[in-house]
Amino acid sequence: MRALAAAAIGLAAALALVFTVTAIGAPGGTTSPKPLLTTVPEHP
Amino acid sequence: MRRKASLVLLAFAVFFAALAPLVRWYAFPRLAKIPPSEYQTAVLEARPATLLDYATMKPRTVSKVSIVQTLRGNVGAAEKAGKETGRDVVVWDALSYIQGPDGKMVSRIPERYVFDAHSQDPVHAGGEHVDGDAVRREGIEYKWPFLTEKRDYRYFDAQTRTSAPIHYKGTRQFRGLTVYYFEQTIPWTKVPLPKTMPVDGVTPETVRKAGTSRWYTTKRMFWVEPTTGAPVNGQEIHREELRGGTLLGGRDRVAVFSGHVKMREDYIAHTVKMVSSQRQLVLAFTTYLPWGFGVLGAGLLALALLLEARGRREGALGQGVRRRLVNLRPRVPS
Repeated sequence: MRALAAAAIGLAAALALVFTVTAIGAPGGTTSPKPLLTTVPEHP
Repeated sequence: MRRKASLVLLAFAVFFAALAPLVRWYAFPRLAKIPPSEYQTAVLEARPATLLDYATMKPRTVSKVSIVQTLRGNVGAAEKAGKETGRDVVVWDALSYIQGPDGKMVSRIPERYVFDAHSQDPVHAGGEHVDGDAVRREGIEYKWPFLTEKRDYRYFDAQTRTSAPIHYKGTRQFRGLTVYYFEQTIPWTKVPLPKTMPVDGVTPETVRKAGTSRWYTTKRMFWVEPTTGAPVNGQEIHREELRGGTLLGGRDRVAVFSGHVKMREDYIAHTVKMVSSQRQLVLAFTTYLPWGFGVLGAGLLALALLLEARGRREGALGQGVRRRLVNLRPRVPS
């Protein structure tokens, strides 16, 4: 019974971690202020 | 004490064993996406190239023609399109600016490319266009999906405003990376004239009124790193002609542009470096973490079972000793 409870705790923690990380996701950021280029840049 | 430790180890074993498939099949598809604020440039060159001299209406060979491609993620438009469609959307405002050897503009084609941030499937919202003409894209453009497969894809051709298959032609090695090579050939097709023409006073309307039309063919080649789906090299054998009408001085066709367009060496090196590092990030979610967590989970489970077995054996031994000690006690005759 105690082993089952330990396994359940482990599974719940894994699910909670993955759901939290995916729910937070990556930050959106802002549109770059750099222009659409009309000259050939010297380097990348 | 050992029994308690084995229970803790069992909890961690299940934690890591569960994380392995969750990271690969739940987290990765949701976390792997193109950021909406991406900004990228690429320079391609045709050396030498044939360009039409609009003053004489005769083609001439020039030492170099440069194509500057800029992709800029429009975060505001992406959020708006995302709300409309209920999807995670990326909006790229792109410009292909072509410059002759004298630094003068040859052509400029703006584009808006709207696509799903995860799958790179086109999304029909947010004002997708090519040179101001509304389009409805099918297939991919600029980038392949994460975990690219060895198969043909549909690729959008901005000149013809249509999609056509781009064929998988094999796996190659490119600058230390394993890449998939794709090829698409667009046969001679009548295409719209660019809205911005390179000569003052010449507009698409004046050319059209003269009965002249623009035709184009290209062979497009991409070397795609399959884990990220990012092209690390691109080339085009591109030809354009003006055909018919009164502008061509009695000729039935005149070359406007002809050249083998290749990515500039410094941009190839930069792209390979960038893609190599992003590849490691994708591999972390698809391979390193799932396998690492799986092995760790199995190891911890084995350790938990070992501790549990030892704990039980010691418990049994302890009981046996106690029983023998009890048996050894002097019996007092009653």
